[in-house]
Amino acid sequence: MAINVEKLTEAYSEKPKKTETWSGFPLKEVYTPADVRHISYRKEIGDPGQFPYTRGVYRDMFRGRYWTRREVCGYGTAADTNERLKFHIEEGASGLSVIPDVPSHIGVDGDHPLAMDEVGLQGAPFTSLSDMEDLVAGIPLDKITMSFNESASTCPVTLAQYIIAAQKQGVEQAKLRGTMQNDPLHARYCGYRPNNPIDLSVRTSTDIIEYCTRNMPLWTSGNVNLYDWREMGINAPQEIAFGFSVAMAYIDAALQRGLDIDEFAPRRAFYCSAHIDFFEEIAKLRAARRLWARIMQEKYGAKDPRSLVFRFGVHTAGCSLFPQQPLNNIIRIAYEALAAVLGGVQSLHCCSYDEPIALPTEEAHRIAIRTQQVLAYETGVANVTDPLGGSYYVESLTNRIEEEAVSVMGEIEKAGGALEAMRTGWFDREVEKAAIKYQQEIDSGERIIVGVNAFTIEREEETPGGVHRVDLQSQRIQLEKVNDLKKSRDNRKVREAVAKLRSEAEKGEQVNLMPAIMEAVSAYATRAEIMGTIRQVYGYSYDPLEVIESPF
Amino acid sequence: MAKAGLDGHDRGARVVSALLREAGMEVIYVGMYQTPQMIVQAALEEDVDVVGLSSLSGEHLSFTPKVVELLKEKSLGDTLLIMGGVIPTEDIPSLKEMGVAEVFTAGSLTEPIVEFIRNRVRKS
Repeated sequence: MAINVEKLTEAYSEKPKKTETWSGFPLKEVYTPADVRHISYRKEIGDPGQFPYTRGVYRDMFRGRYWTRREVCGYGTAADTNERLKFHIEEGASGLSVIPDVPSHIGVDGDHPLAMDEVGLQGAPFTSLSDMEDLVAGIPLDKITMSFNESASTCPVTLAQYIIAAQKQGVEQAKLRGTMQNDPLHARYCGYRPNNPIDLSVRTSTDIIEYCTRNMPLWTSGNVNLYDWREMGINAPQEIAFGFSVAMAYIDAALQRGLDIDEFAPRRAFYCSAHIDFFEEIAKLRAARRLWARIMQEKYGAKDPRSLVFRFGVHTAGCSLFPQQPLNNIIRIAYEALAAVLGGVQSLHCCSYDEPIALPTEEAHRIAIRTQQVLAYETGVANVTDPLGGSYYVESLTNRIEEEAVSVMGEIEKAGGALEAMRTGWFDREVEKAAIKYQQEIDSGERIIVGVNAFTIEREEETPGGVHRVDLQSQRIQLEKVNDLKKSRDNRKVREAVAKLRSEAEKGEQVNLMPAIMEAVSAYATRAEIMGTIRQVYGYSYDPLEVIESPF
Repeated sequence: MAKAGLDGHDRGARVVSALLREAGMEVIYVGMYQTPQMIVQAALEEDVDVVGLSSLSGEHLSFTPKVVELLKEKSLGDTLLIMGGVIPTEDIPSLKEMGVAEVFTAGSLTEPIVEFIRNRVRKS
């Protein structure tokens, strides 16, 4: 085979074509003390665990405790998911993370005519308490931390299911440790607009914040989800700005409900992306910590230091992964995980390399866990907090990102604030603009993606490691389960509980619906029955997909 | 351009629609939560040359035959059917057998999609 000498010579003397960050900040060749001379360590950087928390939310960070290793999991039935969770625990995960399926997110049951083919495909079904009982079977809920990757207005149902399932294990709600995204406003932007109208979203989110503040001191009332925004194509400063504007909408609502800022703010957290531009992502997380601390102190007057800290989980960026030569994704994920750790993450999910192909195989999930373990045990990066602090480059970039995030937040303010920006489609337009620009950069070759527009090979016929298939038998099992449940449960109790829920909801916004929801869940009312009833009180159709009528 | 089923990831559908428009094509994005019936009805009403399906939920193998069957029923069997999204490479031969002309998974560049459509659809 003749060699292409020209190609080799070119490769040898090649240099970076794009000398900007992913988000477009032009970069100098080198950064020096002159670039950071004006920065006050005490006022703008601070030690870890000290305002403004640029260097980390805790004084001791990973020397006190490693980040939690939790991998998102959910497919088939809740029982299938239970098995995979046990596999994770075996393989060394330190926390659990579950995602409900699409019908559950939308608030419809497995027997909904449009949902039947989608049950268990992108998550686990949580139609009734019985599913939650299957999910946690054999898992001592007072000994683990659980994260529900659920953001929609249906969150109160899942939380109620978890609390009751725990009660049945003899574990009281005050002992439950974990989190739930509880971010229905953002859910409007990841495909769940029909069941997350703004008024209902604010209501359910606030009910959860209030309920957790009063009853569940170890439970995080919400992880404002910045990750999905980023997945739609926006850049790093926008990720902070969009996410913070939504976070503030929830805080405003909780304050309106009558909670004191320092009562609930300490149990708030965030869920961020870690994308592929290594230093930018680290700087982004540092900037986010500082900016959030400033907002909480200056805008909300929070006094408790725990109210000021930007605690966050990271999900490595799914949109940075590609199905072409998929094993390359392991490398991308490793770099992103490293950025998350150097950025001071509290809880980390590494994607599996088959993310752009299907749900993770066991092997792919294992590799994702191993990625975290190599990071934790072999690289030594956890031994020193904020190792990039003081870097002339990283401190400059942190400042630059914060400035830009503040500027974008100003634009959102001008657009009327987060809720108004949602009503007018401002966010939709910004997101689409960014996504199109990104694709055009790939199409033109301005942005190089290995295996996609450079170093390509013929389309592979097989996915290395195989493809995870959700056993369609699981769908049939779930459907049967739902049908059986509706026949075998005490339907009189269900009707009474639903009637009670309706009358509580009719009392208005100041009544927390969690107790009534918990009663309905205990009676084995289904998700759709509970959410549909609340929707009706708000003047919406019982069924967000407008196909079925209320059976009550 | 449509998304069948309940999946709500539509960044790809939107971006491809926008870039096909930029290439001079008329694209109607009917959105999410479409049933096969709704998709074919829209294809009929809009008199389209191409139907694009975006699937990220893993149920591409179950709804595709329904779409193909309905297209045939409405005498739209000659409509060019293409797909995109999160689809394992292993499933592409089956989809083609069902009647999908080509599958452009995540990571596809725009130009090949444009070329493919231009080559297959002759202007009348």
